[in-house]
Amino acid sequence: MINLSLTVFTAATIWGVFYFVPPAEGLGGLVRIAFFHIPVAWVSVLAFFLSAWWAFRYLQTSRLSYDSISSRSAAMGFVFCLCATISGAVFAKLTWGAYWNWDPRQITIFILLFIYGAYFALRSSIVDRAVKAKLSAIYSLFSCVAVPFLVFVIPRYYFSLHPEPLLNKNGSIQMDSVMLLVLLICLCNITCIFFRVLYRRKNVIDE
Amino acid sequence: MNKRHVFILVLIVLVGGYSMYEFSASLNPYITIRKVKVSHSTVQVKGHLVKDEASIMYDAQHMLHFNLMDETGELLAVSYAGEKPRDFERATDVVVIGKYENQQFHADKILMKCPSKYQKEGTL
Repeated sequence: MINLSLTVFTAATIWGVFYFVPPAEGLGGLVRIAFFHIPVAWVSVLAFFLSAWWAFRYLQTSRLSYDSISSRSAAMGFVFCLCATISGAVFAKLTWGAYWNWDPRQITIFILLFIYGAYFALRSSIVDRAVKAKLSAIYSLFSCVAVPFLVFVIPRYYFSLHPEPLLNKNGSIQMDSVMLLVLLICLCNITCIFFRVLYRRKNVIDE
Repeated sequence: MNKRHVFILVLIVLVGGYSMYEFSASLNPYITIRKVKVSHSTVQVKGHLVKDEASIMYDAQHMLHFNLMDETGELLAVSYAGEKPRDFERATDVVVIGKYENQQFHADKILMKCPSKYQKEGTL
Protein backbone atom coordinates (compact mmCIF):
# COMPACT_ATOMS: atom_id res chain seq x y z
CA MET A 1 0.00 0.00 0.00
CA ILE A 2 2.75 2.41 0.98
CA ASN A 3 4.79 1.40 -2.06
CA LEU A 4 1.86 1.91 -4.38
CA SER A 5 1.02 5.36 -3.04
CA LEU A 6 4.69 6.33 -3.15
CA THR A 7 4.90 5.22 -6.79
CA VAL A 8 1.81 7.26 -7.65
CA PHE A 9 3.21 10.25 -5.74
CA THR A 10 6.53 9.98 -7.59
CA ALA A 11 4.84 9.70 -10.98
CA ALA A 12 2.66 12.70 -10.15
CA THR A 13 5.72 14.68 -9.06
CA ILE A 14 7.58 13.94 -12.28
CA TRP A 15 4.49 14.90 -14.26
CA GLY A 16 4.25 18.12 -12.22
CA VAL A 17 7.86 19.00 -13.01
CA PHE A 18 7.26 18.61 -16.74
CA TYR A 19 3.77 20.07 -16.85
CA PHE A 20 3.71 22.94 -14.38
CA VAL A 21 7.22 24.32 -14.27
CA PRO A 22 7.47 27.27 -16.66
CA PRO A 23 10.63 27.76 -18.74
CA ALA A 24 12.94 29.92 -16.64
CA GLU A 25 14.58 33.18 -17.61
CA GLY A 26 17.87 32.33 -19.28
CA LEU A 27 17.67 28.65 -18.41
CA GLY A 28 14.60 27.69 -20.38
CA GLY A 29 13.60 24.06 -19.95
CA LEU A 30 16.96 23.27 -18.38
CA VAL A 31 15.61 24.57 -15.10
CA ARG A 32 13.95 21.18 -14.65
CA ILE A 33 17.29 19.63 -13.74
CA ALA A 34 17.17 21.74 -10.59
CA PHE A 35 14.05 19.90 -9.42
CA PHE A 36 16.12 16.76 -9.19
CA HIS A 37 19.48 18.29 -8.30
CA ILE A 38 18.40 20.41 -5.31
CA PRO A 39 16.23 17.79 -3.52
CA VAL A 40 18.77 14.95 -3.84
CA ALA A 41 21.49 17.24 -2.51
CA TRP A 42 19.37 18.24 0.47
CA VAL A 43 18.33 14.66 1.21
CA SER A 44 21.92 13.42 1.05
CA VAL A 45 22.78 15.87 3.83
CA LEU A 46 19.80 14.60 5.80
CA ALA A 47 20.99 11.02 5.25
CA PHE A 48 24.49 11.77 6.51
CA PHE A 49 23.11 13.40 9.64
CA LEU A 50 20.72 10.51 10.27
CA SER A 51 23.60 8.10 9.83
CA ALA A 52 25.46 9.96 12.57
CA TRP A 53 22.37 10.03 14.79
CA TRP A 54 21.88 6.24 14.58
CA ALA A 55 25.64 5.79 15.05
CA PHE A 56 25.33 7.79 18.25
CA ARG A 57 22.34 5.68 19.33
CA TYR A 58 24.39 2.55 18.61
CA LEU A 59 27.23 3.76 20.82
CA GLN A 60 24.72 4.37 23.59
CA THR A 61 22.90 1.05 23.35
CA SER A 62 25.10 -1.37 21.35
CA ARG A 63 22.04 -2.57 19.43
CA LEU A 64 23.22 -3.91 16.08
CA SER A 65 19.98 -2.95 14.34
CA TYR A 66 20.87 0.71 14.98
CA ASP A 67 24.20 0.14 13.28
CA SER A 68 22.38 -1.33 10.30
CA ILE A 69 20.19 1.74 9.96
CA SER A 70 23.23 3.98 10.34
CA SER A 71 25.14 2.25 7.56
CA ARG A 72 22.10 2.10 5.31
CA SER A 73 21.57 5.81 5.80
CA ALA A 74 25.21 6.50 4.90
CA ALA A 75 24.85 4.32 1.81
CA MET A 76 21.77 6.19 0.67
CA GLY A 77 23.44 9.49 1.41
CA PHE A 78 26.31 8.39 -0.80
CA VAL A 79 23.98 7.42 -3.65
CA PHE A 80 22.02 10.69 -3.39
CA CYS A 81 25.26 12.64 -3.23
CA LEU A 82 26.46 10.86 -6.37
CA CYS A 83 23.16 11.74 -8.09
CA ALA A 84 23.63 15.38 -7.08
CA THR A 85 27.20 15.34 -8.43
CA ILE A 86 26.23 13.83 -11.77
CA SER A 87 23.14 16.01 -12.30
CA GLY A 88 25.26 18.97 -11.21
CA ALA A 89 27.94 18.14 -13.76
CA VAL A 90 25.36 17.95 -16.54
CA PHE A 91 23.82 21.23 -15.35
CA ALA A 92 27.30 22.78 -15.28
CA LYS A 93 28.01 21.69 -18.85
CA LEU A 94 24.81 23.34 -20.02
CA THR A 95 25.20 26.59 -18.08
CA TRP A 96 28.89 27.26 -17.31
CA GLY A 97 30.28 25.40 -20.29
CA ALA A 98 32.17 22.45 -18.74
CA TYR A 99 31.23 19.25 -16.96
CA TRP A 100 33.97 19.49 -14.40
CA ASN A 101 36.17 22.43 -13.47
CA TRP A 102 37.29 21.72 -9.88
CA ASP A 103 35.10 24.55 -8.75
CA PRO A 104 34.96 24.90 -4.92
CA ARG A 105 31.49 23.33 -5.03
CA GLN A 106 32.76 20.40 -7.01
CA ILE A 107 35.86 19.93 -4.87
CA THR A 108 33.84 19.85 -1.67
CA ILE A 109 31.27 17.36 -2.96
CA PHE A 110 34.13 15.24 -4.27
CA ILE A 111 35.69 15.19 -0.81
CA LEU A 112 32.32 14.30 0.66
CA LEU A 113 32.05 11.32 -1.69
CA PHE A 114 35.55 10.23 -0.67
CA ILE A 115 34.76 10.52 3.04
CA TYR A 116 31.73 8.28 2.74
CA GLY A 117 33.45 5.98 0.26
CA ALA A 118 36.10 5.41 2.90
CA TYR A 119 33.33 4.61 5.38
CA PHE A 120 32.37 1.57 3.31
CA ALA A 121 35.99 0.56 2.83
CA LEU A 122 36.29 0.66 6.62
CA ARG A 123 33.17 -1.43 7.10
CA SER A 124 34.17 -4.09 4.64
CA SER A 125 37.63 -4.43 6.16
CA ILE A 126 36.37 -5.52 9.61
CA VAL A 127 34.93 -8.96 10.13
CA ASP A 128 33.79 -8.85 13.73
CA ARG A 129 30.26 -7.45 13.75
CA ALA A 130 30.49 -5.51 17.02
CA VAL A 131 33.91 -4.01 16.26
CA LYS A 132 32.72 -3.06 12.78
CA ALA A 133 29.66 -1.37 14.24
CA LYS A 134 31.61 0.53 16.85
CA LEU A 135 34.39 1.79 14.58
CA SER A 136 32.05 2.80 11.80
CA ALA A 137 29.79 4.58 14.30
CA ILE A 138 32.74 6.67 15.47
CA TYR A 139 33.78 7.32 11.87
CA SER A 140 30.26 8.35 10.96
CA LEU A 141 30.16 10.84 13.83
CA PHE A 142 33.45 12.37 12.71
CA SER A 143 32.40 12.61 9.08
CA CYS A 144 29.08 14.27 9.77
CA VAL A 145 31.00 17.15 11.35
CA ALA A 146 32.65 17.79 8.00
CA VAL A 147 29.31 17.84 6.16
CA PRO A 148 28.12 21.33 7.14
CA PHE A 149 31.54 22.79 6.36
CA LEU A 150 31.75 21.09 2.98
CA VAL A 151 28.17 21.74 1.95
CA PHE A 152 27.21 25.01 3.59
CA VAL A 153 30.27 26.97 4.70
CA ILE A 154 33.12 26.60 2.20
CA PRO A 155 31.13 26.99 -1.05
CA ARG A 156 29.55 30.18 0.27
CA TYR A 157 32.89 31.59 1.31
CA TYR A 158 34.65 31.36 -2.06
CA PHE A 159 33.72 32.59 -5.47
CA SER A 160 32.04 29.74 -7.28
CA LEU A 161 30.41 29.33 -10.65
CA HIS A 162 27.59 27.58 -8.83
CA PRO A 163 24.56 29.85 -8.55
CA GLU A 164 23.59 31.25 -5.18
CA PRO A 165 21.93 28.47 -3.22
CA LEU A 166 18.23 28.90 -2.55
CA LEU A 167 18.92 29.49 1.12
CA ASN A 168 21.36 32.28 0.45
CA LYS A 169 23.20 34.99 2.33
CA ASN A 170 20.44 37.54 1.87
CA GLY A 171 17.92 35.13 3.33
CA SER A 172 15.60 35.69 0.41
CA ILE A 173 14.24 32.87 -1.72
CA GLN A 174 14.47 34.05 -5.29
CA MET A 175 12.16 31.71 -7.06
CA ASP A 176 8.96 31.91 -9.00
CA SER A 177 6.08 30.79 -6.73
CA VAL A 178 4.96 27.91 -8.97
CA MET A 179 8.53 26.65 -9.19
CA LEU A 180 8.96 26.92 -5.45
CA LEU A 181 5.80 24.91 -4.84
CA VAL A 182 6.88 22.17 -7.26
CA LEU A 183 10.35 22.16 -5.72
CA LEU A 184 8.90 21.64 -2.24
CA ILE A 185 6.75 18.77 -3.56
CA CYS A 186 9.85 17.22 -5.17
CA LEU A 187 11.73 17.61 -1.90
CA CYS A 188 8.89 15.94 -0.02
CA ASN A 189 8.76 13.13 -2.58
CA ILE A 190 12.49 12.39 -2.46
CA THR A 191 12.45 12.54 1.34
CA CYS A 192 9.57 10.02 1.41
CA ILE A 193 11.48 7.69 -0.92
CA PHE A 194 14.52 8.01 1.31
CA PHE A 195 12.64 7.14 4.51
CA ARG A 196 10.78 4.31 2.81
CA VAL A 197 14.04 2.64 1.82
CA LEU A 198 15.79 3.50 5.08
CA TYR A 199 13.17 2.02 7.39
CA ARG A 200 12.02 -0.79 5.19
CA ARG A 201 13.13 -3.39 7.75
CA LYS A 202 13.74 -1.57 10.96
CA ASN A 203 14.74 -4.39 13.26
CA VAL A 204 16.68 -6.54 10.86
CA ILE A 205 20.45 -6.64 11.17
CA ASP A 206 22.16 -6.28 7.81
CA GLU A 207 25.39 -8.10 7.29
CA MET B 1 23.76 11.15 27.77
CA ASN B 2 26.40 11.53 30.46
CA LYS B 3 29.28 13.97 30.74
CA ARG B 4 31.68 11.67 28.93
CA HIS B 5 29.47 11.53 25.88
CA VAL B 6 29.15 15.29 25.79
CA PHE B 7 32.90 15.66 26.09
CA ILE B 8 33.54 13.22 23.23
CA LEU B 9 30.98 14.94 21.00
CA VAL B 10 32.46 18.38 21.68
CA LEU B 11 35.92 17.01 20.91
CA ILE B 12 34.73 15.53 17.61
CA VAL B 13 33.16 18.83 16.60
CA LEU B 14 36.28 20.82 17.49
CA VAL B 15 38.74 18.50 15.74
CA GLY B 16 36.53 18.14 12.65
CA GLY B 17 35.83 21.85 12.44
CA TYR B 18 39.46 22.82 12.85
CA SER B 19 40.71 20.40 10.19
CA MET B 20 38.08 21.60 7.72
CA TYR B 21 39.03 25.19 8.47
CA GLU B 22 42.72 24.52 7.83
CA PHE B 23 41.94 22.54 4.74
CA SER B 24 39.63 25.17 3.23
CA ALA B 25 42.56 27.42 2.25
CA SER B 26 43.51 25.05 -0.59
CA LEU B 27 40.08 24.86 -2.15
CA ASN B 28 40.01 27.86 -4.44
CA PRO B 29 41.18 27.37 -8.02
CA TYR B 30 40.40 30.92 -9.21
CA ILE B 31 42.96 33.70 -8.96
CA THR B 32 42.47 37.44 -9.15
CA ILE B 33 43.33 39.76 -12.03
CA ARG B 34 46.12 41.37 -10.04
CA LYS B 35 47.82 38.01 -9.58
CA VAL B 36 47.42 36.84 -13.15
CA LYS B 37 49.50 39.75 -14.44
CA VAL B 38 52.58 38.43 -12.68
CA SER B 39 52.00 34.77 -13.49
CA HIS B 40 53.52 32.82 -16.37
CA SER B 41 51.66 29.55 -16.30
CA THR B 42 48.17 28.44 -17.26
CA VAL B 43 45.75 29.80 -14.71
CA GLN B 44 42.04 30.27 -14.06
CA VAL B 45 41.00 33.87 -13.59
CA LYS B 46 37.67 35.18 -12.43
CA GLY B 47 36.28 38.61 -13.08
CA HIS B 48 33.14 40.59 -13.83
CA LEU B 49 32.36 40.84 -17.51
CA VAL B 50 32.50 44.44 -18.74
CA LYS B 51 29.30 44.76 -20.69
CA ASP B 52 29.45 47.90 -22.81
CA GLU B 53 28.86 47.08 -26.46
CA ALA B 54 32.20 48.25 -27.77
CA SER B 55 34.34 46.07 -25.55
CA ILE B 56 32.92 42.69 -26.60
CA MET B 57 33.86 42.26 -30.24
CA TYR B 58 35.49 40.13 -32.89
CA ASP B 59 38.58 41.42 -34.71
CA ALA B 60 39.51 40.80 -38.36
CA GLN B 61 41.11 37.43 -37.48
CA HIS B 62 37.88 36.24 -35.83
CA MET B 63 39.36 36.52 -32.37
CA LEU B 64 36.87 37.36 -29.66
CA HIS B 65 37.94 40.25 -27.40
CA PHE B 66 36.45 41.34 -24.12
CA ASN B 67 37.43 42.84 -20.78
CA LEU B 68 37.17 41.52 -17.27
CA MET B 69 37.17 43.72 -14.19
CA ASP B 70 37.79 42.90 -10.55
CA GLU B 71 36.39 44.57 -7.44
CA THR B 72 39.09 47.23 -7.41
CA GLY B 73 38.45 48.24 -11.03
CA GLU B 74 41.56 46.56 -12.43
CA LEU B 75 40.99 45.54 -16.04
CA LEU B 76 42.14 42.47 -17.95
CA ALA B 77 41.96 42.32 -21.73
CA VAL B 78 41.08 38.82 -22.89
CA SER B 79 41.29 37.31 -26.34
CA TYR B 80 39.77 34.02 -27.31
CA ALA B 81 40.01 32.10 -30.57
CA GLY B 82 36.61 30.61 -30.90
CA GLU B 83 32.90 31.06 -31.00
CA LYS B 84 31.31 33.34 -28.47
CA PRO B 85 29.47 31.12 -25.95
CA ARG B 86 25.71 31.23 -26.12
CA ASP B 87 24.14 33.95 -23.94
CA PHE B 88 27.61 35.33 -23.23
CA GLU B 89 26.31 38.86 -22.54
CA ARG B 90 24.07 37.56 -19.80
CA ALA B 91 26.97 36.29 -17.71
CA THR B 92 27.70 38.30 -14.57
CA ASP B 93 31.03 36.71 -13.82
CA VAL B 94 33.35 34.92 -16.18
CA VAL B 95 36.18 32.49 -15.56
CA VAL B 96 38.84 32.31 -18.25
CA ILE B 97 41.46 29.59 -18.43
CA GLY B 98 44.68 30.35 -20.25
CA LYS B 99 47.93 32.35 -20.14
CA TYR B 100 48.87 35.99 -19.73
CA GLU B 101 51.30 37.16 -22.42
CA ASN B 102 52.09 40.60 -23.89
CA GLN B 103 49.50 42.55 -21.89
CA GLN B 104 46.82 40.15 -23.10
CA PHE B 105 45.18 37.13 -21.60
CA HIS B 106 44.90 34.33 -24.16
CA ALA B 107 41.99 32.19 -23.12
CA ASP B 108 41.73 28.55 -24.11
CA LYS B 109 38.40 28.20 -22.41
CA ILE B 110 35.62 30.42 -21.14
CA LEU B 111 33.24 29.49 -18.31
CA MET B 112 30.28 31.63 -17.38
CA LYS B 113 28.40 32.31 -14.22
CA CYS B 114 24.87 33.25 -15.14
CA PRO B 115 22.39 34.78 -12.74
CA SER B 116 20.01 31.98 -11.82
CA LYS B 117 16.95 33.77 -10.67
CA TYR B 118 14.53 30.92 -11.25
CA GLN B 119 11.94 33.31 -12.63
CA LYS B 120 9.47 32.70 -15.39
CA GLU B 121 10.71 33.66 -18.85
CA GLY B 122 9.92 37.26 -19.74
CA THR B 123 9.15 38.50 -16.23
CA LEU B 124 12.52 40.10 -15.58
